Amino acid sequence: MKLLFTLTGEQLEALSLEPGEKLCYCVPVDLAYELKEGADLTRQPARDVAERYGKDSFLIVTSKRLMTLEGKRVISNTDLSGCEKIRCERQVGCGIVTVTDLEQNESCVARVSMRQIVRTSYAVRGASAIVKSIKATGGPENAEQITSLEYETYCEKCGRALPGTSKCPYCEGKMDVFRKFMNLCGGFTGRLLLISTLMLVTAAMSMLSPLIQRNFIDNALADGTGTWVDYALFVGLTFAILIGTIAIEVWKNLACVRLGSELSMSLRSRLYQKIQMLSLSFINKRKPGELMNRISRDTNQIRDFFQDVFGSMFSVLLTMVASLIVMLAISVKMTLLSLVFVAVVFVLMKIFRHRIHVIFSRQWFKSDELSNSIQDIISGMRIVKTFGTEERESARFSRKSMEFAEISSKNETFWAVFFPILTFLMGGGTYIAVLLGGQDVLQGRMTLGELVQFMAYSGYLFGPLDWMTHMPRAVMQMVTSLNRIYDVLDEEPRIKDTKDSREIQIKGAFRFEEVYFGYNTYEPVLENISFDVKPGEMIGFVGASGTGKSTMINLIMRLYDPDQGRITVDGVDLRDVKIECLHSQLGVVLQETFLFSGSILDNICFAKPDATLAEVIQAAKAANAHDFICKTPNGYNTRVGEHGYTLSGGERQRIAIARAILNNPRVLILDEATSALDTESEFLIQQALDRLIQGRTTFAIAHRLSTLRGADRLVVINEHGIAEMGSHDELLKKKGIYYGLVTAQLKMAEGRPEAEDAGEGAAAEAAGA
Amino acid sequence: MQEERLDLLNLREFDEEAYKKESEELLEMRMLTAETATFARTEGGFLSLKVGDKEYKRVRVYLTFPLTNPEEYISIREATEKAKEIGMVESLSVLPANQQEMLREQIRLRYFMPEIRKVMELKEEYGYAYWYVETTYGVCRFTTHMSNDAVVTLGESRLLVTDIDGNRYEIPDFYALTVQERKRLDLFL
Repeated sequence: MKLLFTLTGEQLEALSLEPGEKLCYCVPVDLAYELKEGADLTRQPARDVAERYGKDSFLIVTSKRLMTLEGKRVISNTDLSGCEKIRCERQVGCGIVTVTDLEQNESCVARVSMRQIVRTSYAVRGASAIVKSIKATGGPENAEQITSLEYETYCEKCGRALPGTSKCPYCEGKMDVFRKFMNLCGGFTGRLLLISTLMLVTAAMSMLSPLIQRNFIDNALADGTGTWVDYALFVGLTFAILIGTIAIEVWKNLACVRLGSELSMSLRSRLYQKIQMLSLSFINKRKPGELMNRISRDTNQIRDFFQDVFGSMFSVLLTMVASLIVMLAISVKMTLLSLVFVAVVFVLMKIFRHRIHVIFSRQWFKSDELSNSIQDIISGMRIVKTFGTEERESARFSRKSMEFAEISSKNETFWAVFFPILTFLMGGGTYIAVLLGGQDVLQGRMTLGELVQFMAYSGYLFGPLDWMTHMPRAVMQMVTSLNRIYDVLDEEPRIKDTKDSREIQIKGAFRFEEVYFGYNTYEPVLENISFDVKPGEMIGFVGASGTGKSTMINLIMRLYDPDQGRITVDGVDLRDVKIECLHSQLGVVLQETFLFSGSILDNICFAKPDATLAEVIQAAKAANAHDFICKTPNGYNTRVGEHGYTLSGGERQRIAIARAILNNPRVLILDEATSALDTESEFLIQQALDRLIQGRTTFAIAHRLSTLRGADRLVVINEHGIAEMGSHDELLKKKGIYYGLVTAQLKMAEGRPEAEDAGEGAAAEAAGA
Repeated sequence: MQEERLDLLNLREFDEEAYKKESEELLEMRMLTAETATFARTEGGFLSLKVGDKEYKRVRVYLTFPLTNPEEYISIREATEKAKEIGMVESLSVLPANQQEMLREQIRLRYFMPEIRKVMELKEEYGYAYWYVETTYGVCRFTTHMSNDAVVTLGESRLLVTDIDGNRYEIPDFYALTVQERKRLDLFL
């Protein structure tokens, strides 16, 4: 995404840059926000929203200042050295840029629509980096240069929406598309050659048959000199050509189908591999389902193209051109007349197609709506019944159903009337040929055979017209799909091994150094996190939901890299450790326990496929899973996952724990690992986990604080940063956030405030007896 | 060890009242009126609030029914991460005229949803619809997906259009458009 737009000379002048002041970021601001100088705050605002789009407006970050420019007028001008914080706040349907000065006064300096919000937040991040650098070193020299890997939503050149690709499929050079296409067909050259040859042969054969017809008519029928030999020869030849054409067509179609499926299969597996390699940040940036679409729908699109379009594309074009030449040779006058007609029909088809498209998409919308409301009502049946609103819902449904019926009956009528008319027009060319050609034949200027031949060829010209109106769309769809696929294939994974990556034997000392991170450009999740973890230490993360506890763990697992700062393990930057090496030494139990389709055995062995059965049982026992597994019909061979045996949340979690234990990891990560268990099972597993965490560095998240009683240190995360850190006792003494959390939970468990004896009993348990 | 920890945790000291108060605060409908609350503009273009003896340097103004009742039950919140509710304004009309205007300014700042006045052009191309419209914010081009969610109906004749970036546009009365314009919108209805 572009972060430095070019200003005109006049605009640059208006900024009156000081010597040494450098333009760092310049992004468009598309909503007007006005400054009213000398405003009396009781009567009118100093700055106000103007309900118009920004004209030629930019948010500008230099090495010294943050400015908003409209045309040649500087609307706001802030010295970065006087800033505490600069933020891009998301509003509803828009965003605003706010500046907090050293006295904690906030002001709004710009307003942008959703189209520019991502770009703006990048520029704001850039400005914040400069502010930070000025604070730390007094100058902007050490500021991090912010760049954006995100794609634009609109093409800069043609203004079309980009279908989730980095380059516009329309404006991109033809060579690039061609390169992708060749790359795609790379391993299939032989097959492509075969298909091309077959296409040539079919085209030639279809050209042949009218020629034979003409000879037969002129030499045998018209003058009555033909014998039965001529007759038999004609029938035989025509029949042979027919059979031959059919055979070759079938062969060609089969080859196309095979090529299409194999191509899409190879693309699918390449995509799948690539997506697994790409970092989560790439995957999360895309809408859920979008990547799935790329794997399934886009590859199918390519397959369909090869099956339906590619196979006939060249032979149809070839036949059309050849027919035209022959037609011209027979009669220039008739050909030109037919061509006019071809043009008319082509235009009609195009309009007709558009119309059909419109009315049918309307029908699809309605049918979508109808099925949605059926689904709504059926899945909400219990609610509908309990509130007794059946009648209202049926009435609503009937109305929708009626609308749908109306539209579809209208559409069917349209079909029934217009389709025959169109067919008539398509055949119209022949009437003209007969009309004009017939006269020529009668006057002896043309033979009957020639007329028949002409008519046959004009059929070749009209036949594929319908298909031709469809072809550009099909090609464009293929190019779009191709682009979307190659966008993923060409993407470099952001988290990857470099040549300096090494394998290390992890001892378990972790260190966070001024780590900043956010999933989204405009929302930081963690800010300035620094702390040390000794090998074998158990760290508990505590805090309200959504404060970034799981994010900490994602960073430790290196599913993401920090935006700023670094994390080290045994003194080595996580970025320099081979990813596979790191992950093989982590044991992870996550909040959402995902089981793959397969047996329980497969699931437990996921990270260590060569484990012995005894090891598997040992791990399952440690996770308190052995008993319930034995009770399932097929024991460890019971299939779970989709369409498999249904396990409860607690059971799944225990399998996940067994999976983590089996790997005998150096570092253990427990993200709400026991949240779905009942108290008794949790107590049992906690015993197992207590044994397990001996001597391993452990990071644990839990809402039930009793789960963290074994933690050596607790890290309380609040408002993007570390609020408190220390042992259970230290934090209790401090009487801060943690103290509040513990007492609140105890009170909750206790229920009745007056039963103080019972309360202290519970306190003993929770405080880690 | 156990004893020590218990010493640290004095349950009798636990301020249950604070929690009860917080939970009550959550349930309570705190209405801000001209008598209890005074809004004022800030230099920076925001709004400050004085309620009783409490002063907020900046407050946020959230609409609770932005599409149906934009001037009623307006939630006034702290300008912090948590955006805790300070109180609600039952209706703008309970405030003095100049303060009503201040709140409207903030609502204009927070909510961006131009009204479409004229649909000059609407064409479909490969799964996207390209709009060229005149809005209350001026002439504008935008693009929507060709799917059901791009244009939704709110009530009988009111339409809400969402473009590919997430900007929203409103067509207040579909039937106030010309026949030609309505025909262009056929694609979605």
